[in-house]
Amino acid sequence: MSIDWITVAAQIANFLVLIWLLKRFLYRPILDGIDAREAEIKARMQQAAEAEAAAKTTEASYRTQIAELQSAQSDVSERLRQEAEIERDTLLAEAHARIDQERKSWQTHLTEEGQKYSIKLHRAGAGALLSLTRKALMDLADDTLEGRMAHHLIGQIKPMVSDIKQASGPATEAVFTSHATLPEAAQTALSAELQAAFPGVTPAFRTDPDQAPGLVLRMGGAQVAWTVDSYLDGLDAVIQDHLSAGGDLKAQSNEA
Amino acid sequence: MTLSPDQTILFDLWGISLNATVFFTWIVMLVLTLGSILVTRNLRPDVPPNRWRTMLEVIVQGIEGQIKEIAGRSDRPLLYYAGTLFLFVAVSNLLLVIPGFEPPTASLSTTTALALSVLIAVPLFGITSRGLGGYLKTYLQPSFIMLPFNIISEFSRGVSLAVRLYGNIMSGAVIATILLGVAPFFFPVIMDVLGLLTGMIQAYIFAILATVYISSATDSSRASSSESAHPPQTEKETS
Repeated sequence: MSIDWITVAAQIANFLVLIWLLKRFLYRPILDGIDAREAEIKARMQQAAEAEAAAKTTEASYRTQIAELQSAQSDVSERLRQEAEIERDTLLAEAHARIDQERKSWQTHLTEEGQKYSIKLHRAGAGALLSLTRKALMDLADDTLEGRMAHHLIGQIKPMVSDIKQASGPATEAVFTSHATLPEAAQTALSAELQAAFPGVTPAFRTDPDQAPGLVLRMGGAQVAWTVDSYLDGLDAVIQDHLSAGGDLKAQSNEA
Repeated sequence: MTLSPDQTILFDLWGISLNATVFFTWIVMLVLTLGSILVTRNLRPDVPPNRWRTMLEVIVQGIEGQIKEIAGRSDRPLLYYAGTLFLFVAVSNLLLVIPGFEPPTASLSTTTALALSVLIAVPLFGITSRGLGGYLKTYLQPSFIMLPFNIISEFSRGVSLAVRLYGNIMSGAVIATILLGVAPFFFPVIMDVLGLLTGMIQAYIFAILATVYISSATDSSRASSSESAHPPQTEKETS
């Protein structure tokens, strides 16, 4: 075992050279690569952290927006609900008003129709009454209805002469108005009676189709009349009673 | 039988005899350098590391981790020095399996050279770290009476390093040679396996001891703990 000092020196030189070579070709490239990779990883981690922070900020922003939108949606829904309630109330009020209006209109129409029907019935009843009365008088008493009306009016005038004179004032004409033309005999009888009760008053005979069947004397402000209206009013009352009784019976039968 | 490759003269070059120690040292240097160049030539951050680069990274980071554990900090110059020590000794001992290869570490001249380099490196690192005055003061610690003992301690470190590495590697080679003559088909294989194991252990111990000595010279606060923690352990492994 011996030491060759030349070899020792050579080995020291070799070792120093090897240190330099490995430093140049091994340690620095490897450590620089590791440092670069660590720096890159650190940079990426930093980017990831920043991206995460940005994402959290964005998420918070979106959550705030969603909350605001939900709040706004709730407000809009509440406003729409209130508007809908107001609109519904308005429409209901309008509908009720329209229904009331239609009901009133319908009732007015019914009333008018009832009145028209009543008038029609009134006239029909008057015609029938006159026709029956005229036929009964002709069959039973061999007399005319107009003759009897003149006779009845004369009978009314006689006890009221002073009252008629007072009410008529200075009248010079007495007008007899009838639904149809009076027969000659009736006109003569009426003229004679008028001359007897009211001398100087001229009789005049007129017809009025709109007037109820009967005979009316107008002299100045005085008026004496006999028409079938009073009879027809009684007839209407009887008919209404029968109609009411028929309606009640019909209602009872429907309920049964 | 020649006990040292120093005595094997391979050829003369301009009057200078080139022995096997220097020649195989160059081979080891060539292997290490070429291997490093081949692995690190396409080393870029955007290129994913391959298995060779990963292996080198593991080795370099392992050495750096050991240094950090001993010195308490990352020290690049110490990494270059101790890492080269480890790689040179380890590769020299690993190439023992190649027929005809004589490890340079089996030469007392090589181990002496490495020990001398450690002896020179310790004050150099110490002076670089503490300054000349600060380093020289460490020889007077804990009192000036200890000066001769500290000097002896420094030299004995180098001698122990050199003899330890030489003895282990040379003895393995000698025993393998002897056993080759006695039982040529069985024992040399076992001895080669054991030689690889002891060679790696020796490389580790040599590098660790050098690191401990240098770090103790560079940082007095850690020197005492390192000296007390590692050398006894390594002595046990060596024995």
